[in-house]
Amino acid sequence: MSSTAAATRLVPKFDTDRIAVLALVVVVVVPLLVFVVAPLVGIFKMSFVTADGIGFGNYVRYVNSPKFAKVVGNSLAVATTTTAITVLLAYAFAYAMRRTAMPGKRVFGSMALLPLFAPSLVQALGIVFLFGRNGVINRTFNLGIDIYGFWGIVISDVFYSFPHAYLILSAALAVADARLYESAQVLGATGARIFRDITLPSTKYGILSATFVVFTIVITDFGNPMVIGGDYSVLATEIYNQVSGQGNFQMGAVIGVMLLVPAALAVIAEKWIMRRHHATITERSQPLMVVRERWRDRTGLAFTAVICGLIAAIVLVVVVASFVTLWPYNMHVSLRHYRFEVQNGLKPLWTSIWVSLMAAGIGVVVSVGAACVTRRLRNLAGQCLYFLSILPAAVPGMVLGLGYILVFNDPSNPLEGLYGTLLILALCNVYHYHAQGYLIAMTSINQISRVFDEASTSLGGGFIKTLWEVTLPIIASSIISVGVFFFVRSMVTLSAVIFLVTPVTQVAAVSVLLLDDAGNANQAAAFSVCIMVVVALALLLFRLVLRMSGRRNVLLIH
Amino acid sequence: MGPNVFLSLRNITKRFGAVPALNDVSLDIGEGELVCFLGPSGCGKTTLLRVIAGLETPDAGEVSQGGSNLIGVPARLRNFGIVFQSYSLFPNMTVERNIGYGLACRKWPKDAISPRISEVLTLVHLGDQAEKYPHQLSGGQQQRVALARALAPKPTVLLLDEPLSALDAKVREELRAEIKDLQTALRITTVMVTHDQHEAMEMADRIVVMNAGVIEQVGGAVDLYDQPVNRFVAEFIGRMNLVRLSATKLSIAGERSDDDPYVGIRPEHIELIDVTAADADTLVGRIEKCVFLGSFTRITLTVDGKRLLLELRGRRTDLATGAALAVRIPAAAIHRLQDAPG
Repeated sequence: MSSTAAATRLVPKFDTDRIAVLALVVVVVVPLLVFVVAPLVGIFKMSFVTADGIGFGNYVRYVNSPKFAKVVGNSLAVATTTTAITVLLAYAFAYAMRRTAMPGKRVFGSMALLPLFAPSLVQALGIVFLFGRNGVINRTFNLGIDIYGFWGIVISDVFYSFPHAYLILSAALAVADARLYESAQVLGATGARIFRDITLPSTKYGILSATFVVFTIVITDFGNPMVIGGDYSVLATEIYNQVSGQGNFQMGAVIGVMLLVPAALAVIAEKWIMRRHHATITERSQPLMVVRERWRDRTGLAFTAVICGLIAAIVLVVVVASFVTLWPYNMHVSLRHYRFEVQNGLKPLWTSIWVSLMAAGIGVVVSVGAACVTRRLRNLAGQCLYFLSILPAAVPGMVLGLGYILVFNDPSNPLEGLYGTLLILALCNVYHYHAQGYLIAMTSINQISRVFDEASTSLGGGFIKTLWEVTLPIIASSIISVGVFFFVRSMVTLSAVIFLVTPVTQVAAVSVLLLDDAGNANQAAAFSVCIMVVVALALLLFRLVLRMSGRRNVLLIH
Repeated sequence: MGPNVFLSLRNITKRFGAVPALNDVSLDIGEGELVCFLGPSGCGKTTLLRVIAGLETPDAGEVSQGGSNLIGVPARLRNFGIVFQSYSLFPNMTVERNIGYGLACRKWPKDAISPRISEVLTLVHLGDQAEKYPHQLSGGQQQRVALARALAPKPTVLLLDEPLSALDAKVREELRAEIKDLQTALRITTVMVTHDQHEAMEMADRIVVMNAGVIEQVGGAVDLYDQPVNRFVAEFIGRMNLVRLSATKLSIAGERSDDDPYVGIRPEHIELIDVTAADADTLVGRIEKCVFLGSFTRITLTVDGKRLLLELRGRRTDLATGAALAVRIPAAAIHRLQDAPG
């Protein structure tokens, strides 16, 4: 029978598909080891290097210093206070957006996300313009408010972390099973009781998740404490002072490890919570329809309007300050801060754009690649890859950046040539935000039915062919949004790259910090405005491209 | 079975974790035959199909095609066409590209691809839909395209995994006939998984009734209906009354008197008789329920506290709930089953 011969011929000597998978695993895993694991190992190693050899000497010395308790205490105080305030405000905001019938949701929803598109120190900059020593409030009313320190950091970080908490809580409040609410109403429950017994329990995972995410963001934030912290030291600024100020890498590494621990714990807690989050809404759930209710809707509107007003005010103040002769003394419109006569002029902005484009390109390849491989592996190897891919979420930018110096500024490292290049800045940004990019890609890949893979396989398509012709085209929109995510993050991030920039490779966010540090707040504002304009233009451009290619409803913000 | 054994499954065992999905399953499928795997969900029928396709690797056992072992041959090299339950068309490709996909994968020469696409599209009566995207097609059309896509590379075996179960009843019946005609015309060896007994009875040359990871019985529709080997097959295909032999007022020659086995009686084989003409073989009961179902009427009769189902042709206005009814069970209607009910 002819089919006998055919079947015999079909048995492959070696499976080309396996080789393709293996090749992609190598392409994905090796850089993760080099650019995430190695720097972390570097930090740990350095933290044990003392004058008397390897040991816990640095830790003992640091823990016993009076400064230690103060800095750790400051960090925890700032992080817990900010987290409590942010989660509360963001919950109320998200509730108004999702559970009331107030008007203007689209506008408010976009405005709440504004801080995501500004360099991380813009909030502090804006608050200093308002309430600082030379702020408009103090100068006008002669109040003598001292904003520098704890409350300055807390207020700035509330705004800074607000959109992150809002996105999580909004998602949690968006899903609701109408049947539960209708049953409760029929049984005679009051509004407050329904909120306590149904709404709150069904969003508790969202609340916990937002809590840990905000905690991580705040405790690792560097830009805002630098600008508005004054003498109030936190762990993130302390690393910078030790390394950049005193050249004490060992101590920087010790504090880095100290910062890594709470951040990692918060991330682990968050992932653990999200794992058990799923089963609350089932296929049979009926979506909740919000009905009009005059006073509730008005209260919601008033609250969201106030919050959005404050968010916008801070950004607006920065924009206005950049266009006046000398804030707040001479309020005549002037473009003189846009001349950038110091510090390489506008060059850092172009550097930032270039680095961000590189980061977008590399980020898309590695994070989408990692997601594709994870889906294919499915077993223990897949779980290992998942862990490795989301590990960077637990690593504060300052720690990663310091790790990069330790590893790549070492002549014995064959990759030492990377140090001081723009490429290492792009790579640092890619791996700093790898977890988020990976999770965006993973989410949309997991939405694709396995039937497509199987259909392709049965038709003779190999791993690469299936990926290229089926999987990737289906998730094209998500791939684009991963790219946009890396671009935007790279434009505004400060913490990881602060250690890696050289005068030649200085990026825009660092320029803002240095200008402000040099007492030139107006130029710092102007530079921030430039960054925000670039980000806004990029988002507009992507929207346009997506619209022209017929793809709507693509999430550009994550 | 067809003249030659084409696909042979030997002692296939497959577990998912601790759950056994297939337990020592063996089956021969003849060339050009259409075989249906029929059973309730979770019986292992889909797993068995996926083992044949190469999408699952069995823990033990052998799959061979024309005498050579297929274990270890990846699905993409087996050249079997598969149609899935639904939504398996690549949403980013037109009908034409979907169908051409397997041809491109199998490295068909460029000038042979386009005529082949037209050919199979004509086979499934969708010659004018080549430029459309899957979401522009109805469910029935999508499954036709999926069939065309599976057939395009001239597969040696066609595997259908509940291809009709996501469709509306009307479309389902249309496609049943169409697939069967196509299969007969192409004489392609075909395995179809279904949980719908009517689908299996209409389409299959042989039906493989499966339950809990094992094959219960293999045979044509008539064999399975008239000679079910056990209670599961008897109740899965059609309806069956299960009663003690003594309750039928009949005896089977050769049975020991103390042996009173369960026997099966099809509801339509029970005969209605005039109450006045009742004799020793007559069972008299009361009508508990009387349901009109279109072409027949189903009656639940209580005889000595036991329920008996009857199906009478047409509409029976003369029978009402609570009325007395006399019936007789012909000796030929008695089915001996291997297992007693639990």
